[in-house]
Amino acid sequence: MLLKNTYNEFIKILSKPRSYLGIGALTLLVGIIIFAMKADGRSIISFVTSSFEQTLTFNGDILNGNLIAFIILQMLIVHIPLLVALVTGDLISGEAAMGTIRMLATKPISRTNIVLSKFIAGAMYTLFLTLWLGFFALFVSRQIFGTGDLIVLNSDGLVILQDADILWRFGLGFCVAFLSLLTVSTLSIALSAFAENSIGPIVSTMAIIILFTIIGSLDVTVFDNIKPYLFTTHMASWRSFFENPVPFSSIIKSIVILVVHNVVLVAIAIYKFNKKDITS
Amino acid sequence: MKKFLTLLIIAIQFGVIAQEANDILSKVVTKLNTVNDYTVTASLKANIPMIKILPSKATIYFKQKDKFKVVSKGIVILPKQGFTEINSFLANKKSYLAVAGDTTKIGNVMTKLITVIPNGESNEIILAKLWIDTKRALIMKSQITTKSNGSVTTSYSYSDNVTYGLPSELVFEIDVKAFKLPKSVAADINKSTTEKKTKPNKKGVITVTLTDYKVNTGLSDAIFTKKK
Amino acid sequence: MESETIIKVEHLAKRFGTFEAVKDVSFSVNKGDVFGFLGPNGAGKSTTIRCLLSLITPDAGSIKLFGKSFKTDRSAILSNIGSIIEKPDFYKYLSAQKNLEIFARVSGADVSKKEIQEMLEFVGLGDRGKHKLGGFSHGMKQRLGIAQTLLHKPDLIILDEPTTGLDPQGIVEIRNLILRLKNEQNKTILLSSHQLSEIELIANRMVIINQGRSIVEGSVSNLLNTQELLVRIEVDNARATGELLQKAYPETILKINSDSELEVTFVKELVPELARLLVSNNMNVHAIEPTRKLEDYFMKIIQA
Repeated sequence: MLLKNTYNEFIKILSKPRSYLGIGALTLLVGIIIFAMKADGRSIISFVTSSFEQTLTFNGDILNGNLIAFIILQMLIVHIPLLVALVTGDLISGEAAMGTIRMLATKPISRTNIVLSKFIAGAMYTLFLTLWLGFFALFVSRQIFGTGDLIVLNSDGLVILQDADILWRFGLGFCVAFLSLLTVSTLSIALSAFAENSIGPIVSTMAIIILFTIIGSLDVTVFDNIKPYLFTTHMASWRSFFENPVPFSSIIKSIVILVVHNVVLVAIAIYKFNKKDITS
Repeated sequence: MKKFLTLLIIAIQFGVIAQEANDILSKVVTKLNTVNDYTVTASLKANIPMIKILPSKATIYFKQKDKFKVVSKGIVILPKQGFTEINSFLANKKSYLAVAGDTTKIGNVMTKLITVIPNGESNEIILAKLWIDTKRALIMKSQITTKSNGSVTTSYSYSDNVTYGLPSELVFEIDVKAFKLPKSVAADINKSTTEKKTKPNKKGVITVTLTDYKVNTGLSDAIFTKKK
Repeated sequence: MESETIIKVEHLAKRFGTFEAVKDVSFSVNKGDVFGFLGPNGAGKSTTIRCLLSLITPDAGSIKLFGKSFKTDRSAILSNIGSIIEKPDFYKYLSAQKNLEIFARVSGADVSKKEIQEMLEFVGLGDRGKHKLGGFSHGMKQRLGIAQTLLHKPDLIILDEPTTGLDPQGIVEIRNLILRLKNEQNKTILLSSHQLSEIELIANRMVIINQGRSIVEGSVSNLLNTQELLVRIEVDNARATGELLQKAYPETILKINSDSELEVTFVKELVPELARLLVSNNMNVHAIEPTRKLEDYFMKIIQA
């Protein structure tokens, strides 16, 4: 029954116009960035290397598809959570508003399975968005700008990664980025279990992300104890794959925290939905 | 009278010292001018604070008097004051004053220190110190100080192409100023916001190993103007 | 032979915050019943029905369907129930066919696309299967709701206000459908409705609830004593007619409404005799109408 309802959820997601809004917006945003980089990418590069160029020269093709892909990922990873929440925040509460949750809940499928099937479908949509971003960011950029070494500006300096050493980093980076976005998806589904309309969970999800991001960026000792456990602190952990050496222990810690968030949020959604009196 | 004689002796000595420096430099320039053009394979290793880069390879093209191009598959880092500025600087004798200094042993080689001071203020180089192997007319070490880029100290090693004065290895030691990291699109927003600066007087080292020289093959100017 | 009990509700109670929606409701529905579930607005009908379908968890009491409890056999119970609660809601962005496929997939039965198409034709939507729900009228959605209810061939059908918003033709169609389901397929039907006339015509048993409590339960005929009708008579002289009837039928209950109208409780089979009596005594009779007895009974119970 779980598989059947998951299939149902796919059909619903694929049939909703808002699902394509996210994909369209992403495509447009990536297209605009690629166009901007094509028109004036050099100025962005000089912004990154200017401090070093007083004593050094950088030879080689810095403005290449790998750098563009990295920049796209860096820019959009802040905005994609909204596109994810737009669809996943609607999965339970949207049906409550529409009244179909009432029809669904009278069927011989457990409420736990209803939530799990929505979670799985939401995860698949998130995965698709991530892959779509990856395809555009990496594949299209590399087609237009070619490949080459990747220059990355981290908080502790510049890292230059060789072309042959990059694809696996992007691959694993996208995997972790997916996990970050999955956390957003799960959060919005959990909030959706509490609401009777879809705007509430979407706005609440973004508000929580913004709040946690602000807390994470404040250099205030009173927040130091909670920062490591905020999921937003680990949403940029995909970047760690572009350090040299790659801090695998730190990445694994981020993965564990994100996985725990997902498990807890799904549990909350299941608990709430099971206890809920469906009066709509 | 005594004073006049003392001053005369000092002037003659200074003239001798200056003449000696010019003679040494002439020999070096003559040797360098035997190379019209060359192509060389460079292997670069950089050990620079706040920059992590793996060893990389490049092909370097040079043509008299100041055409220079680095072609690499990946990104390579070179010091701003690199290979050929000193050549063109030394070629114009009238643009500087050269003074011979002490003799210093570098490795197993006795070298003479030649201090070169540019005449005008328009030059980017404000001071150059060259330790020259006078027997072979080879620069063994240089310290070039520029207006905007600090000092670069370069150690030279020679092997197969010593007759042309072309080094087999260059070790650049550069002044690394406080690199300020901008909060840019490539910055990591989730890490600490405190900026890290290099300690004063910290050095960066770039080692360039040069092999497989192809000298005076008649390189076309188009190589230096062709865009990728 | 005692009929199998399909629904057994005992001392059901449910509170929302400080508001007690259901205080003490008990009733039972037997196999093959068309069971009327009646009560005024706010009596607790919807809450009780939602409890029957596990949409709401009751605070007290017990519910058994097919002899089973939701705690242990939720899936088995719900796979044998088809229901419409208030208005049927569907996915507006999907077609009628897709909507039925979605619900069929989780109904616990294997329903083929062919069966879905047949069901659409059964409810009169055979040519609208590919159309999106956004363009459907209320009546069409109601019919689609019926289709969704019957798709997996359940033994128990629960209908909450199925004729709300329908035109007279629609109401007749629903009534005939319910009768067909009972007579041809021996379905058990629990029907909540404000259309008392419909209940009177098709239900064999009923319960009336008010202010969260069940008041009366039993067979419709026993409760209403439908052997007797309330007959409204329109004549020239109601007083004279009343005196005539009182003399002829001393035990009958009579009420003069106006100079030209009176109401009399009368045995159904004797109504023709009544007509002959009036005519033979030169009373000018303009109308003889049996009024809806259930309505009176309902109002009497509610106001008691």
